[in-house]
Amino acid sequence: MLLPLKLKKTVSGKGDKLKEAACMQELAVMFACFKKSEFDQQQCLKEVSSFQNCYKDYYQRAKVQREQGKKGVLVPGEKNLTHRQVNMLLKSFPPK
Amino acid sequence: MNNIRIALREVIPNRLRTTYRNQWPNLTQSRFYPRATSFPDYFQNPIFRKEDQAKLIENNELTKLAAVPVKPPAAYETSSVYHDALVDKVINHVMKMGNKQLARSLVEKAFENIKRKQIERYHLASTPEDKAKILLNPKDVLHRAVENCKPLLQLLPIKRGGITYQVPGPITEKRSLFLAVKWLLDASNDKERTVHFPEQFAWELLDAANNTGKVVKRKQDLHRLCEANRAYAHYRWQ
Repeated sequence: MLLPLKLKKTVSGKGDKLKEAACMQELAVMFACFKKSEFDQQQCLKEVSSFQNCYKDYYQRAKVQREQGKKGVLVPGEKNLTHRQVNMLLKSFPPK
Repeated sequence: MNNIRIALREVIPNRLRTTYRNQWPNLTQSRFYPRATSFPDYFQNPIFRKEDQAKLIENNELTKLAAVPVKPPAAYETSSVYHDALVDKVINHVMKMGNKQLARSLVEKAFENIKRKQIERYHLASTPEDKAKILLNPKDVLHRAVENCKPLLQLLPIKRGGITYQVPGPITEKRSLFLAVKWLLDASNDKERTVHFPEQFAWELLDAANNTGKVVKRKQDLHRLCEANRAYAHYRWQ
């Protein structure tokens, strides 16, 4: 017997991970420079630093998002909610 | 009688433990009390450098630290001008079985060897420009060597469809420092039995500071491998 379809009262956090391919552009540029200069890092200082800064930025953003998500704090006016924030809202205003 | 003795043995340490727990949880640094000597995790690391303390005062973060318990600094954590965090790190990597005295003497001997070699080069150099290029401070040599040995990328095994791909990706600052020091020591230990460690370590450091040698080659090989596997780089994000 098929039960009537029903949505859960929570959302899972599976889709919440940062999935963007960060720093691929910088990586490609750095590899191109490496290939040109026989893997001598001294000749690619600009490319290397741009790659490292990009990764540092990405790491910081991911960290902030992780911490925010863990707390599940609701920020007024926030459009992109983490799964914990959504669960918090669903718990306080349960769907029928 | 025996039963009473066993019962007493069980009761007394428990009571001791509870009294300790009431005062300082897990903080039992006594040589008469053989339990964990680690501090609970709310204990902050000490800030023992004058520069760091000045930074704290500047940012008004000192009041935050004033109220929380802080671990005592270790014997090597001093505010002396001779203190160098990287040198401490290297000594700890050289150390085997907790024999720090020996590790420190080995590293210091290596520094002495570097100093001797560099002074020799300094006196052999003819022009003032050549002389200015030579690093005379062994700690500067170490810093430059480690900087030159730090890898920018790492290969991570990621399984996709039953096949494990070696996927290149960025590396954290901490891990790249670890790898640089580890590679330098690996290269130094890969030597003839008759050559002593400080001598070989000095050569490896001088080579690496000059951006040549085994370790820099090893780093470049890793970068080459990453470049060869760059087609898989997007697997990291799926």
